[in-house]
Amino acid sequence: MCSACGFPAAPGHWTEAGAANAHERLRGRFRRAQVLQRVLPSYNLSVSETNDIPGIQLSTLTGSQSIVSHLDEVWALAEKVNGAPVDPLDRRFIGEE
Amino acid sequence: MSDTDGRIRLIILGGYLGSGKTTWLRHQLHEGNFQGALVIVNEAAETPIDDALLGGSERLAVLAGGCVCCAAKQDLIDLLRRISDDRSRAVSTESPLDLIILETSGLADPGAIVEAIRSDPVLVYHIVVSEVIVAVDGLHGMSQLRSESLSRHQIEVADQLIVTKMDAVDQAELALLLATLQVMSPGAMISGAVKGVPHQLPEFSQAKAESLKDLLAEDVKAPILPTRLHLDDSIDWTAFTVWLSALLYARGDDIVRVKGVIRTPAGRLLLQTVRKIVQSPEILPEQGDTREDNIVVMIGRGFTHSQLTKSLRHFVGRQGN
Repeated sequence: MCSACGFPAAPGHWTEAGAANAHERLRGRFRRAQVLQRVLPSYNLSVSETNDIPGIQLSTLTGSQSIVSHLDEVWALAEKVNGAPVDPLDRRFIGEE
Repeated sequence: MSDTDGRIRLIILGGYLGSGKTTWLRHQLHEGNFQGALVIVNEAAETPIDDALLGGSERLAVLAGGCVCCAAKQDLIDLLRRISDDRSRAVSTESPLDLIILETSGLADPGAIVEAIRSDPVLVYHIVVSEVIVAVDGLHGMSQLRSESLSRHQIEVADQLIVTKMDAVDQAELALLLATLQVMSPGAMISGAVKGVPHQLPEFSQAKAESLKDLLAEDVKAPILPTRLHLDDSIDWTAFTVWLSALLYARGDDIVRVKGVIRTPAGRLLLQTVRKIVQSPEILPEQGDTREDNIVVMIGRGFTHSQLTKSLRHFVGRQGN
């Protein structure tokens, strides 16, 4: 573990179980960022993935930055920023397009 | 033999959604208990998942697509009659079947199953319900008792209560749960387990049981129903987990249980959740082409199949975007 930033966190968040090797883990990271970026902007957050920082990098509209270690923390941060959780059953996701 | 009069003993294993029924049974079979028993697994959803886990049993039957205490009661009666028939016809040199274990779905009231078997004019001569074992979720049991009348019914009919996930609960909460269970079901033997392995119960004689409020009509929420999601090839594991983790974060109290087998580059993953808690996915061995993978069963309330599909579709996007 890096003594400066505390990463990597406890190994094996359940969402990471689908990758068998380093290539797939890397692909998974970029894909995760891509999916998050479809969802988070409407909750006043954006995500960036440059593969030089461990964890998930999030920033708010005012530019404040956070690095979290897994998805549960992403949703917790989104709830903190918006006052309500990201609800996949919200109208913005299930409304007729 | 005398107390069963040559009839087949039937053990009913019940308990709320995600309380640890299959985990407990799997460990018992692994330890070599219930030798020679026929295991019947019932699942309310059309896609059975638990039978994949119970490979350790010598004889296994699956009743999927309805809960045997209500919708699929007749299926259970028919199956048991068939088993009774076969046993009566079997040649005496074969070792006769003398034990059946019925693992119910988490939505079943074991009392209704006992009732159905006892009141069947044929089965009453062939099968005797010897024990009702009910698994109680150590972690969520107390909140289920407060809000779900089904979980109360399950406990009231138990001869044996197994409190699971003992390692994940703090002692005071556990003592409250145990004391409450003892008041609700004074005759039942209570024991503890962690992943099916017996676990010492803490001292709880000083703990005070919670007096549960009667559930009024307005407290009774919409029924909990299974929904089956088919994940087609365009849905990858990463996108699915982003979606599911958000869904559980926001709606974990209403999405009581998620179960499924999903194909990923790492292999066939068994995914299981209980409310907001996700078990580390387990890699399952290949089981031939006959099994249908990429099916996820979501059991809960407050959502429809089309809402789930649209929402997931939105998260996944078009690949390559």
